[in-house]
Amino acid sequence: MSSQELDLRDYFRIVQKRLWLIVSIVVVMCAIAGVYSLYIKKPVYEASTKIIVNQTPTQSTVAQLDLNQINTNIQLINTYKEIIKTPAILDVVTKEYPQFNVTTEELMKKVNVSSVNNTQVMTLVVRDNSYSRAAEIVNAISLVFKQEIPSLFNVQNVSILNEAKVNPPIAPGPVEPNVVLNMAIAFIVSLMIGLGISFLLEYMDDTLKTEADIEQYLGLPTLAMITRVGQDEFTKGAGAETQALPSRRAGELENVTAAK
Amino acid sequence: MSQQLSKQRQLITLTNPRSPVSEAFRALRTNIDFSSVDERIQVIMVTSSGPEEGKSTVSGNLAASYALSDKKVLLIDADLRKPTAHKTFTLSNRYGLSSLLSQQVDIEDAIQDSNVPNLSIMTSGPIPPNPAEMMASNRMTAVIQELRQRYDVIIIDTPPLLAVTDAQIVASKSDGVIMVVSYGKVKRDIAIKAKANLDRVGARMLGVVLNNVKRKASEGYYYYYYGN
Repeated sequence: MSSQELDLRDYFRIVQKRLWLIVSIVVVMCAIAGVYSLYIKKPVYEASTKIIVNQTPTQSTVAQLDLNQINTNIQLINTYKEIIKTPAILDVVTKEYPQFNVTTEELMKKVNVSSVNNTQVMTLVVRDNSYSRAAEIVNAISLVFKQEIPSLFNVQNVSILNEAKVNPPIAPGPVEPNVVLNMAIAFIVSLMIGLGISFLLEYMDDTLKTEADIEQYLGLPTLAMITRVGQDEFTKGAGAETQALPSRRAGELENVTAAK
Repeated sequence: MSQQLSKQRQLITLTNPRSPVSEAFRALRTNIDFSSVDERIQVIMVTSSGPEEGKSTVSGNLAASYALSDKKVLLIDADLRKPTAHKTFTLSNRYGLSSLLSQQVDIEDAIQDSNVPNLSIMTSGPIPPNPAEMMASNRMTAVIQELRQRYDVIIIDTPPLLAVTDAQIVASKSDGVIMVVSYGKVKRDIAIKAKANLDRVGARMLGVVLNNVKRKASEGYYYYYYGN
């Protein structure tokens, strides 16, 4: 009769007992997440350009693709990825495009560079609260990068594959906040918190509740279990053998208190 | 008025004998009777570790339940600090246990008849300044001895164990002790401490009454559908 081990029914009982607590935590957390994602958090848009790294034919003696050359370019991309995110490029951008009104550090946070493995293409992504601004910034960075790279590397091997459209025919949706994802995360996290709190409370509750508890901790038998009695139950369903107490007469209460 | 009514204590064993709760009190009565084969359990003390766990309700209902089984029953309200029996049975508390122990009245005058046949009540009497000394007095022992001759069952309602020492003293003069434990209210160590207090005075523990059990958690619920 050990109460140390919980069986599955006990888990259900604990959850059922604190269902209101769990549900209210979940509802409140989801509401907060929903309001935050929909009304408080500013939407973030994303614009990207693709840059291809390739030797221009004028620099190459043989006007054909050389595997070695391609490999060198792929290696170079890793270097370029870092270079874009340095003040060497971004300082120039902030200087040449004062209309963006951003500092180099802010720009650094907005820019993300990635490349697909074993290709000579790298993708430049900028996130901003306005789509057209994001597109303008990403175009500006690509352009500056293309201009600056010969002075840094002494090679002319960068060309812009595609520019971001500043005013696309179909307005792209924001990438952030993802309302559904945020709600889903809030739901799961709050459910876990609710369950955690329920089980913690149950674990902390060391009051006597069952005959087994009494037997285990007091070593005494339980003679009777008396249920809580509702007010209506004192007379409900009372049979003919009922011996109801006479109702209290006026003045009798004074007898009672006078004796104290 | 309505508030007065709702606060009024009623004994369910009297007002609704067919309810599952009344059945539980009958079961308690039976269990006490069978808890001792050789010795006769005549003086039963009801206590609990803390206040408001249902001592007075349990003692009142148990007394009524014994009375309904044609036993001559006396209920003594030995809670000289917060007496309730006179309220439950709407009796005068001018004279009672304290007046008897302080030799102001005789036994006959300290006992009142209730409106239940076979059930007599000894209310607490006026609240004295020294309840523990009164309980410990030789007079108390003599009174209980005298009452044993007159009644089949004597049920004593006492103050909580951990608050004051009264219950411990009375326990040593009783045949058996019932500890009322309020469901989900009493912590393990508190209950263990209360039981240790009783063990120290050599009290005979009959068992525990688990009170205020939630309806769902109790098997007693099924009595509703049985025999109706």
